[in-house]
Amino acid sequence: MLVQVPGGWNPLLGRLAIDQIPYTNPILAPLFVAVVIGAVIILGLITYYHKWGYLWKEWLTTVDHKKLGVMYIILGLVMLFRGFIDGLMIRTQQVWANGPQSSGVFGAVHGYLTPFHFGQVYSAHGLIMILLAATPLLVGFMNIIVPLQVGARDMAYPYLNALGLWITAAAVALIMISLFVGDFAHNGWFGYAPIFELQYSPGVGVDYWIWTLELTALGTTLGGINLIATIVKMRAPGMTWFRLPIFTWASLSANIIALTSFPALQVALFLVACDRYLGSHFFTAGFGGNLMLYTNLFWIWGHPEVYFVILPAFGMMSEIFPAFSEKPLFGYITMVAASFAIAGVSWLVWLHHFFTMGAGPDVNSFFSVATMLVGIPTGVKVFNWAFTMYRGRITYTAAMLWAIGALFLLLVGGLTGMMLAIPAINYMVHNSVFVIAHFHSMLLVIVYAIFGSVLFWFPKVFGFKLDEFWAKTMFWLFSAGSVLVFVPMYMLGFMGQTRRLDYVFNTAWHPYLVTEEIGIAVYCLSVAAFFVLLYVSIRDRVKNRVGQDAWGTSRSLEWLTHSPVPFYNFAVTPHVNARDELAWRRHNGINEAQPTQYVDIHMPNNTGVAIYIGALTFVLGFALTWRMWWLCLLSLVAIIALMIVRSWRGDPGYIITAAELEKMEREAMQRQQQVEGHLPHHGGQAVPGGAMAYEGQKVSPLGTPPSSGGDHH
Amino acid sequence: MLAAAWAGLANAGIFWIFDPKGTMADTNLHYMIIDVVIMGAIVGITALLVIWFMWKYSKGKNRGKYDAHWSHSNTLEVLVWGIPIIAVGFLAYFAVKGTFEINPYNPTVITKHMAPKGDPVHVDVIATDWQWLFIYPQYHMAVANELVLPVHTPVFFRLTSTAVTSGFFIPQLVGMIDVMPGMRTKNALESDRIGVYQGIASDYAGAGTSWMTFPTKMVSKEDFQNWVSKVQASPKTMTYASFNRFAEPYINVNHRVVYFSNVESGIFDHLMMEVMNGKTWPLPPAMTENMVAYMQKQAAEHRD
Repeated sequence: MLVQVPGGWNPLLGRLAIDQIPYTNPILAPLFVAVVIGAVIILGLITYYHKWGYLWKEWLTTVDHKKLGVMYIILGLVMLFRGFIDGLMIRTQQVWANGPQSSGVFGAVHGYLTPFHFGQVYSAHGLIMILLAATPLLVGFMNIIVPLQVGARDMAYPYLNALGLWITAAAVALIMISLFVGDFAHNGWFGYAPIFELQYSPGVGVDYWIWTLELTALGTTLGGINLIATIVKMRAPGMTWFRLPIFTWASLSANIIALTSFPALQVALFLVACDRYLGSHFFTAGFGGNLMLYTNLFWIWGHPEVYFVILPAFGMMSEIFPAFSEKPLFGYITMVAASFAIAGVSWLVWLHHFFTMGAGPDVNSFFSVATMLVGIPTGVKVFNWAFTMYRGRITYTAAMLWAIGALFLLLVGGLTGMMLAIPAINYMVHNSVFVIAHFHSMLLVIVYAIFGSVLFWFPKVFGFKLDEFWAKTMFWLFSAGSVLVFVPMYMLGFMGQTRRLDYVFNTAWHPYLVTEEIGIAVYCLSVAAFFVLLYVSIRDRVKNRVGQDAWGTSRSLEWLTHSPVPFYNFAVTPHVNARDELAWRRHNGINEAQPTQYVDIHMPNNTGVAIYIGALTFVLGFALTWRMWWLCLLSLVAIIALMIVRSWRGDPGYIITAAELEKMEREAMQRQQQVEGHLPHHGGQAVPGGAMAYEGQKVSPLGTPPSSGGDHH
Repeated sequence: MLAAAWAGLANAGIFWIFDPKGTMADTNLHYMIIDVVIMGAIVGITALLVIWFMWKYSKGKNRGKYDAHWSHSNTLEVLVWGIPIIAVGFLAYFAVKGTFEINPYNPTVITKHMAPKGDPVHVDVIATDWQWLFIYPQYHMAVANELVLPVHTPVFFRLTSTAVTSGFFIPQLVGMIDVMPGMRTKNALESDRIGVYQGIASDYAGAGTSWMTFPTKMVSKEDFQNWVSKVQASPKTMTYASFNRFAEPYINVNHRVVYFSNVESGIFDHLMMEVMNGKTWPLPPAMTENMVAYMQKQAAEHRD
């Protein structure tokens, strides 16, 4: 052992001992029992219905980008729920532990959470919400939608895609197990030097935090590589850069940020690990360490990460607004330019997270102005969405409501962001709950865009629409919750309440804290509405089935194939003629054109290697956390061996013959006929200008051109 | 009822940021108003525009003309880029100006007008786990967890920590500044309004952060002199050796205030150098897993 850790250590179990299991904790012990019972029930049901084979073959070993995307989204939604529960616990503690007269239970002087636990709860809340909820949700959507939008059969590297998912799942497993084995970090989701050093955090919490972050960073980097390669190399014929759907542009800009910034995080955390495991002094206060170096390194990743999550959300909004305004996105080129401007500036603003560090006014001025520059392209985007609605024909579906909600939240977040960008204002509200309210406004933009996207793309992936009534009910409840929680939070910021207080000293703030707690209750109702939404929609799925163009006003390439999307995406790769390909085809009357002939297609095989490696990275993370050196070595060797074996064998893939394909397509078209009441128009009808519906297939002259603009059903 | 309660409290002066009592906080509010007026106008107009479009172009209402292809306008492109660029340019001027005016190391709002106001008071601030020690080097004295300052006098702070990073914040007087171990930051304030203002540890520093608050008393110059005499008469003294005991983890639930006379001169720099050389005051593992039990243990050690 290079460093002395308090408590025992033995060669077999490392720091793990029975007293590290919080079996006496009045909150965690019952929760653990509930989790075990829940797990037994789920595993029992899977066994009872003999679904293990199905689960293994269709989901756990899949390399299908849509199924991986769905699993990313399920993972993200589960963690969104866990993060919400953490948020609920934080709010409940603050409203309870308010003032010297407030009572305390469970070993806390005030409220029900001791500082030791409160620190863990808010650290887990932040880390989960940003990296294990928002990020997997967005990566999931990019996974599903981007290959469809560019007309590809799968991602560029299907196996890598699965690997990314399972490593992310390992990160999730690691942070979840920290609930019941040991504890979690209390240094905030971004960590602070030197509080995460061994002297101030002697437990395993910070180690859990390090390895959870390292794993999620690794998974996201792998995903980023894959998405960039897919967008650059896998576009359908005819899809020039300026015919790329806007969500794909947003994904490209976001993943360039991810690929370039996540390594900074991994290095920073690696250096933290060196401090904690090897006794180095990168970020200690003494021995030549520099604690602000950590903060700089972290935010050099951290701020680009913020745009990594917001840019795809902007892309989602840019898809939803045109579809339900029944007209093209206003200022497409401008929108693309704005995305890349945001991505570029994201590298120049990190210091605004710590204007209060004491840097000189020159440095602060630079980062202040650079930060405000972000407001320009963001403002452009807001205006463009507004002008997309202008002269449109707006349908207020639930998806559109979420997108509009996101737009208004962005206005609020933008207003408060421009306040924070000015150091002369920032000094007063930095580290206050005003900042919390600001970045929750911004992260809620993402959540709103995600729920809008769930509603918008759900029929594409599963073949039936979600129930509009319950989706709208959920929207209004969620929005009421957002107002009730975050308006008082902004006000408390103006009253000087700082963040992360496990005991709130000022009783004058009580009415506002109570209002926030009421907001949390309303949020709980919206969560309930979400479950009802799922139940009702699945119950009524036959009634709500849709054809390829679920909304009748959809615009981009993903709506050209069947709903649900077959595993091969497109039977024949479509030829792209226009920016909004489906809208263009609808306008030209060939939106239901089918290929005249099929050819063999080549698909990747399933593989269990990805989930094995994912499981081993979890073991590695767990072993590192508890300092079980033999297990670290064993899992690391196993990972490397698996990688070598897999690389050696490669994947020859398999062929779907044209005949098989035709059979599957015929069945899909019959299903569509049942939904839409007519068979899709066969044959490649021609369109003006020598355009093609499918690559390399003959086109015949078009009959009467459809009237302009009359493209609704 | 809730609305009435809100309105009542809003008038009770609890919006500390809107109710500044010193030069620095005044300046913060000044820039906040400028920013909110400019940005609020843009954001407000945009919101109204969106609402108007939502109303006018709602499907089936036939209020506005539908154009299935309209997606570009050079005039609007100039506007959508131009308005944010002009707004940001305008705000950038104020941002830079404000950054220099309340630069914590040399706030020109204070230093430019300093000469006629007399000698400044210097305070060396040390954050521990989890107490504040305010050293008045001019008077060779120190106070734990309470700050007393004279009005009409510029006050200059030097700040460091002997534990982890925290923040020094008095909402009605001066904005936040990081307090870091092995490093020295600065801040300043000036106020001409007598009163007691809340001081807060604005950055999470571990278990005792929430109780790391300190009252800041702005008093008249005479009262300040009387108070100095009182502190200087305290039997407790502070040397580097006694600081070692003071700096051990201590959660200040009971808001204890201690006066120290005869403070060893140069203790601030000495401690900062010690920390840079690797001195730490470590925490026991999971120390507040049961905080009630920890508080009993702390009380039994008779450090209150």
